[in-house]
Amino acid sequence: MSTTATEEIRKTVLVDFAPAEAFDLFTAGIATWWPVKTHSYGGEAVTKVVFEPQVGGRVYEITDAGEQDWGRVQSFDPPNGFKLEWLIGKSCGTEVEVTFTPEGPGSRVVLEHRGFTNATARDNYAGGWGAVLAQFVEHAQG
Amino acid sequence: MSTNGSVLDALGDATRRQIFELLKGGPRSVRELADGLPVSRPAVSQHLRVLKEAGLVSDRKDGTRRLYRIEPGGLAGLRDYFDSFWGEALDRFADQARKEQG
Repeated sequence: MSTTATEEIRKTVLVDFAPAEAFDLFTAGIATWWPVKTHSYGGEAVTKVVFEPQVGGRVYEITDAGEQDWGRVQSFDPPNGFKLEWLIGKSCGTEVEVTFTPEGPGSRVVLEHRGFTNATARDNYAGGWGAVLAQFVEHAQG
Repeated sequence: MSTNGSVLDALGDATRRQIFELLKGGPRSVRELADGLPVSRPAVSQHLRVLKEAGLVSDRKDGTRRLYRIEPGGLAGLRDYFDSFWGEALDRFADQARKEQG
């Protein structure tokens, strides 16, 4: 039954910034680097991206038409990392966590996006989608 | 096959997310879904059409009614979408860090 565990996304980049600087660039400075043209609802209409630096804060995009939430801050612990409830995928119960650890003169930045059903869920579809969903909901509520 | 943009658009609407949440509990008819939501049956049908076009739900006939359920392939697609989404986003982040490092 455990074959339906979520398969998380894990990405790592190394930067020359110390963790504190890297953390600031990722959060407070998100508007300076986030690829809004391709990674947003509004695309080129996006005028700003905001990361509110506290637990319960919102991460959202702004266009002339208004604001669109991307996530809600679940933990905010500079320079170590932060965790977001990812609202774009909220119905999938997804969570995004980014950690910053010292590595040489810079930092290792690790992003994990978890809470997706495993691609093998398709294989279980005929046999027991109910069981898959039970685990799925458990993750979504966890 | 849907594009991933439409998957995001489909889940960007609060009512559609609610419908999707309800379908996690198992297959439901339009009437059952409408009973649990503050929207009309035609509105539910409309939202289901969008979710279906995005590959997130599928339907089948069950006697005289039509049942909607979550399409697991749609979620696998969403995961794959975010896999490249974060890869590209982090590349941009690293580029900016290099730029500021000067």
